[in-house]
Amino acid sequence: MFFHIVLERNMQLHPRHFGRNLRENLVSKLMKDVEGTCSGRHGFVVAITGIENVGKGLIRDGTGFVTFPVKYQCVVFRPFKGEILEAAVTMVNKMGFFAEAGPVQIFVSNHLIPDDMEFQSGDMPNYTTSDGSVKIQKDSEVRLKIIGTRVDATEIFCIGTIKDDFLGVINDPTTA
Amino acid sequence: MCFPTDSPVHSSSSEDFAALIDAELDDFAALIDAELEAGSSGSSPDERSNEEEEVDDHRNKRRKTEKLEDQVELQGSTSQGLIAEKLEVSLKDICTHPGSFRQMCIICGQRVDEESGVTFGYIHKGLRLGNDEIVRLRSTDMKNLLRHKKLYLVLDLDHTLLNSTQLKHLTSEEEYLKAQSDSLQGLSNGELFTLEFMHMMTKLRPFIRTFLEEASKMFEMYIYTMGDRSYALEMAKLLDPKKEYFSGRVISRDDGTRRDQKALDVILGQESAVLILDDTEKVWTKHKDNMILMERYHFFASSCRQFGFNCKSLSQLKTDESASYGALASVLKVLQQIHHIFFNELDSDLASRDVRQVLKRVRKEVLKDCKLVFSRVFPTKFQAEKHLLWKMAEQLGATCSTETSSSITHVVSLDAGTEKSRWAMKFNKYLVHPRWIEAANFFWQKQPEENFPVSQTKNQ
Repeated sequence: MFFHIVLERNMQLHPRHFGRNLRENLVSKLMKDVEGTCSGRHGFVVAITGIENVGKGLIRDGTGFVTFPVKYQCVVFRPFKGEILEAAVTMVNKMGFFAEAGPVQIFVSNHLIPDDMEFQSGDMPNYTTSDGSVKIQKDSEVRLKIIGTRVDATEIFCIGTIKDDFLGVINDPTTA
Repeated sequence: MCFPTDSPVHSSSSEDFAALIDAELDDFAALIDAELEAGSSGSSPDERSNEEEEVDDHRNKRRKTEKLEDQVELQGSTSQGLIAEKLEVSLKDICTHPGSFRQMCIICGQRVDEESGVTFGYIHKGLRLGNDEIVRLRSTDMKNLLRHKKLYLVLDLDHTLLNSTQLKHLTSEEEYLKAQSDSLQGLSNGELFTLEFMHMMTKLRPFIRTFLEEASKMFEMYIYTMGDRSYALEMAKLLDPKKEYFSGRVISRDDGTRRDQKALDVILGQESAVLILDDTEKVWTKHKDNMILMERYHFFASSCRQFGFNCKSLSQLKTDESASYGALASVLKVLQQIHHIFFNELDSDLASRDVRQVLKRVRKEVLKDCKLVFSRVFPTKFQAEKHLLWKMAEQLGATCSTETSSSITHVVSLDAGTEKSRWAMKFNKYLVHPRWIEAANFFWQKQPEENFPVSQTKNQ
């Protein structure tokens, strides 16, 4: 799920950046530091959309660095248990398949793939129904449900399932 | 002096976030209420009150936990989340956690912390499977594979399929190779590659392209090397530029369960259907019966030196193994034969067939009908039956004895001057060098005896 929230961060800035462009420097450093990182609480920071306010800087003793408390708006993405997500399949093997939804890596075990889908090995491994009408392979798009999540410093991992109503392939690269 | 670097401040902002979630929840609850009002004809009153209770419960719970603990993880914020939570409770009782991905159970999504089972890092980072799950996967996969008339083949890289050297180890006689190496673009035909970024030069064994193409029709192939992961993947790219043979089945030293050994436990195939091609027997101590020993391929001088040969290497002599009579060609024939016997000549049930037995049987054909006697091969007082050559000869189907008799066909000797050697010449028996047995072992075929003459030792 995406959220648009306000976060705060203490930014340390080197004195060489002071001057007319201080604010721009601060913002670009903030983007570099924050975008693409994860926190267990808020999830993946997708983009900074605006600066709410920049507080008063505080000169640190001895170094001359200045600490600014910066409040910024950003879009965060965090998968929840029970959430339905659409994801692109990245790898299919006999244990199940891996899919990605942006920065989120999802594994769907073959226990959680409908029983009528069977693994077919070959140069393009896939899961196919017995009548061949539905096929999951690399680059397929699937709709899945999250049943477990784990957030690391830079990555989010999930366990998903497609063994439920209205879940499964939504776009097949071979027919598109 | 030391100062903390940039530190995220959560205290105030996270409260905003929590408030936001709460607002969302209230909206959602209102939505549900409205929906229930609208569609009350569809659902029974009991169900409705239950659902309302659930939502109310949920809201209360939220507020409580928020008051208690600010660090509480945001749980599913919809009623579906609630249902999932309940489901999970019932799943927890039965779920055996057969495996994990990034320390989450692959079935119920719960945290699993204990480090049991085998890691399958070569398939995906963070994937780990329990033993029962491996057994289950193996047996389903086996059925699938047998239906396609395929078996498993595990291939070693260095000295089996190719030979690599570091660029700095190239001798002056080998400098010419740099000009000859194939471009990395036209991968599918070349055999000699310079990998500047890895400071390496790699020579694929002659016949490799045909070998892989033919073998892929009969086997699901794995690469298993003692090299590190990046090297293994780079070599896989050279061997299989179109990714049609190995797709994700490349195992390196980093993925094995033991550092100095190779083992089949990371291979998702039943041991009774796995064949191994490797040039080093001792890394496969547990799976000798699955193994086909390959003659080492030394193309570069550095590789010869590494194994203590003083002769000129193939590269220095500007020659190479023969493509049509080389080791890969002969082993391909063996593989085809084994595959044929396994699927066409055995009577037993497909699932109970064992490729190890077939391998043994094919090996026994090589020197069938040969009766050997050894002369000056083993040290005196050494128990002949325990010698490597003796065992090798017996595995190849030959009968060995210590005494000459009329039924003997070959005398294996290091010296043409011994009594038995002279006996051989007198009675018109083959007199061969012990290398004749080794060659038969590598090529899986009886070699022409005249190519392995025995010379008279000079000091006699």
